[in-house]
Amino acid sequence: MAQEEIEIEVDKHGRVTIKTIGIKGKRCLEVAEALAEIIGKEEQRTMTSEFYENEVHVQNRIEIRNQR
Amino acid sequence: MSTVLVVAPIVIANWPMITAAVTAAIATSGFTAIQHEASNIASQMTSKTRETIEVDDSEVLTDTFGTEEAIVVERDGITATFKRDSKGALQICMEGDRVSKTQLRAIGEDLLGRVTQQYAYHRIVSELKNRGLTIVDEEMTETESVKIRVRNW
Repeated sequence: MAQEEIEIEVDKHGRVTIKTIGIKGKRCLEVAEALAEIIGKEEQRTMTSEFYENEVHVQNRIEIRNQR
Repeated sequence: MSTVLVVAPIVIANWPMITAAVTAAIATSGFTAIQHEASNIASQMTSKTRETIEVDDSEVLTDTFGTEEAIVVERDGITATFKRDSKGALQICMEGDRVSKTQLRAIGEDLLGRVTQQYAYHRIVSELKNRGLTIVDEEMTETESVKIRVRNW
């Protein structure tokens, strides 16, 4: 199951980037918006395709046989 | 979907919060705090280059009216005085010998950036605690950004 996280980066000029990851519900985004509100003014918002949703599970099976 | 919000900080803080941000910022930038009175006498006795940086997106909240507070920090003969201007915004007065106004402004803006970074960091951490969210990872990147990962779901 995908983890839901917020990743926050504060650069050396104080500019803040808040990225929500693995969101299924609204709560994570609400927290991000609340943080943006207390820090300053939102300059940009972009929606990206979700990393976890594109995750592909690959199962490899390796058989090692002794050749005699 | 992921959402990315980019936020420009606005410093709205009382004097103790600004003092804490400046103290944290100078720890990583080589400046040290000095006495306000001492710097006043020194600046009156010498002719130094001066440059003032007005922080438009800021508001210094006053807890007690009539107080004129300032924080003075120094590095290599260059002083930076943080104070509240007449409009209530944060102002940094840079002073130094044998430096141009352009150099003073660059040093002052770098210092201001670090102070703003500390201010934003502390506001964020405080808000996360209030919401009962857990910081699962925190690191300083190569570009001197602070990166925090939060999880509580």
